[in-house]
Amino acid sequence: MCRTGDVDEPFESGSETGTDAAFTALLEDSAEELYEAAPCGYLSTLMDGTIAKINTTLLDWLGMERTSVVGRLRFPDLLTVGGKLYHETHYAPLLRMQGSLRGIALELKTADGGRLPVLVSSQVKFGSEGEPLLIRATVFDASDRRAYEKELLHRRQEAERARAEAEAARRQAEADRGRLADALAVLQQSLVPSSLPAIQGLESAVYYQAASPEQLGGDFYDLFPVDDKRWAFFLGDVCGKGPEAAALTSLTRYTLRAAAVHDPEPQVALRTLNAVLHERYADSGDPRFCTCLFGVVEPDPRTGRALVRLASGGHPSALALRTGGGAELLPTPGGMLIGVLPDARMRTAQTTLNRGDTLLLYTDGLTEARTGPDAGSMLGEDALLSFAAEHAPAAPRELIAALTGLLADATPGPTDDTALLALGVPFTDHAGTADG
Amino acid sequence: MDVQLRNNVKVVGPPGAPVVVLAHGFGCDQNMWRLVVPALAQRHRVVLFDYVGSGGSVLSAWDEDRYSSLDGYARDVTEVCAALDLRDATFVGHSVSAMVGVLAAQSAPERIGGLVMVAPSPRYIDDEGYRGGFTAEDIDELLASLEANYLGWSSAMAPVIMGNPDRPELGNELVNSFCATDPAIARVFARTTFLSDTRDELRQVAVPTLVLECSQDAIAPREVGAYVHAQIAGSQLITLDATGHCPQLSAPEATVQAILAFLETRR
Amino acid sequence: MADLTVARRDTEAGPVLLVAGELDFVQAPVLRQHVAELALWRGACLTLDLSRLEQCDSAGLTVLLLARERARAAAADLVLAAPPPKLRRTLAITGLDAVFTLRPDEGSSGLRRDEGSSVA
Repeated sequence: MCRTGDVDEPFESGSETGTDAAFTALLEDSAEELYEAAPCGYLSTLMDGTIAKINTTLLDWLGMERTSVVGRLRFPDLLTVGGKLYHETHYAPLLRMQGSLRGIALELKTADGGRLPVLVSSQVKFGSEGEPLLIRATVFDASDRRAYEKELLHRRQEAERARAEAEAARRQAEADRGRLADALAVLQQSLVPSSLPAIQGLESAVYYQAASPEQLGGDFYDLFPVDDKRWAFFLGDVCGKGPEAAALTSLTRYTLRAAAVHDPEPQVALRTLNAVLHERYADSGDPRFCTCLFGVVEPDPRTGRALVRLASGGHPSALALRTGGGAELLPTPGGMLIGVLPDARMRTAQTTLNRGDTLLLYTDGLTEARTGPDAGSMLGEDALLSFAAEHAPAAPRELIAALTGLLADATPGPTDDTALLALGVPFTDHAGTADG
Repeated sequence: MDVQLRNNVKVVGPPGAPVVVLAHGFGCDQNMWRLVVPALAQRHRVVLFDYVGSGGSVLSAWDEDRYSSLDGYARDVTEVCAALDLRDATFVGHSVSAMVGVLAAQSAPERIGGLVMVAPSPRYIDDEGYRGGFTAEDIDELLASLEANYLGWSSAMAPVIMGNPDRPELGNELVNSFCATDPAIARVFARTTFLSDTRDELRQVAVPTLVLECSQDAIAPREVGAYVHAQIAGSQLITLDATGHCPQLSAPEATVQAILAFLETRR
Repeated sequence: MADLTVARRDTEAGPVLLVAGELDFVQAPVLRQHVAELALWRGACLTLDLSRLEQCDSAGLTVLLLARERARAAAADLVLAAPPPKLRRTLAITGLDAVFTLRPDEGSSGLRRDEGSSVA
């Protein structure tokens, strides 16, 4: 490398004779000798790159003889292939356009097959007419600097790779979350029926909304035949959220289905569920409960009436919207939260649905939804009863649509899972279902 | 975005005269043509532009997907032609731009009526029965050379270099500014250029074509020039007594003469 | 949403927990932890003062039932003091009014701010 600072400053020497000797030595350092033995390479070429003059330092670096270089090789011939390409696409055009360039990083091929990283600066010498005559270049050994730069480059590439990896990890996490959401959605669908069966002489409609895609809902419902005349239905709410609640929901649903086929008497089905949940969870240190309305409906297409027998396990009462207007609660007293006591009391209540009557079962996601201008008050059971009375008579689909509209305008309450199930006897004798 | 702004389009020469579009190759920008423009512009309308990602183009318009294939660059050409509503122009493409011109003439035949291919190569890497002059390893080495030389490139300076095409004195203060560009963009252009294989396109050329090669070109050796000439039916081949890959800089008079002679045949 | 706060006071009869705020799915574990850490003894009476309870969902009910289990296991009693009307209604709907011992007033469980320990 050309490093001027390497030379001791002779004038700072303390001895007079020493200074003279050094100064004399400097004077004897002829221009020619300075050129040949300079600590950097010198190179002059014709405009087409043919090497016209080269100093000893550069020849030594290359390990070449002057006679095999001067007039025989072009500057690009000294370069690696990559360097040649760079020379043609950048170096030569730039030199033509600018007349000079500085600090271009290239690699020289040495005679022994090695490579010497160099930094090249070039200047075009122009004639009196302004015509380019030749190119002068200085060549600096850049091994150390290039090693350092390579290190920098390596670090930068590593940083870029790390960033790319982080980005890939982020995408992976996003994809995983998407897959998890898909899995949860599938699981959620297994907790409620995908559609309600069509029933002669009975219309049904449902609305179901889980709190969030990440949280499996704790509300459940079902409607299924127990024999050729009767249909069982239930709707409920397990305490808590998440996978544990979903496991409980699943257990509840299949226990009730099995129990109903065995004995469809509502209080018996709920007592069976109670026993199962109590046995399963009471001593687990993690007690789990649920509330549930369970009913059996027996439509009579001949009379157009349907007999409903209903029992509650700690669940809010069902509502009946009557064909002549008005709505009423169907009291199911004494039903205990399911899973608390080993032997819970349940009692069955009974009502008849006439043509145009509609039965509504709901979870507290409906009554706890916050309504009003400041979303400050919960809908509540009394307001729900008034709302139902205003809309009576209403077929199941109409009622669910009206309540869905109400929920759409409301702020979800603390328990934002909501399930609604409506069953009604249509005015005309045809089967009908609608999914929420 | 306005295409003329995006591609830093410059038009010189008498209005209404036959149009010549000059397209730079990989490495630098439209300044490559500075020594031939005055002579060409005497009797021709000369259109100059920079590909998006080069010279004074709008860097924000660059898109890796688009500019990873030569079709993306050909779209720059046809879009510039459309923006100026050029008809039957002669397209002069240097290096990789010669092949870009072939692609552009195919997709917009009404706009490009003649091709001048300066130091063209349809494939740089050797293949069975074909000598392009390079191996795949050579191209990797070029990419490494690019990396080594972009260390001094500063993105903070890019707006100064790129944003003042009208004030070249600003650029002149920066060493090597004509070839300065975002290293990531240059890498994509280099890969797209040197890994391309457009040999099959040559036979599709249906316009009068002049192939201009240099007698000593490290990038496009003479056998490649002969190949291009042989593949394009009816093409004319002129070998300039010039060293290097850029005859418009190293032998501007001879280059102008050859181009003007070709333009005469198209009048 | 009002945070749940639980303050404990120990009386001769047994510990009194003043439960204020919303006892829901998110905050129920706070009370659950308090109940788990209580010292109970045979014949003691654990009182949950619910006079300042604003909300109680199914997860809240579960914790109340856990407190009942905890008391039963220690042969102690559990009293729910001053449940607000809404909670009474929930207890009635769920049939739990027959399971818990309810006392309408706060009685001796009243707690001043500067007494006992308060944990948010």
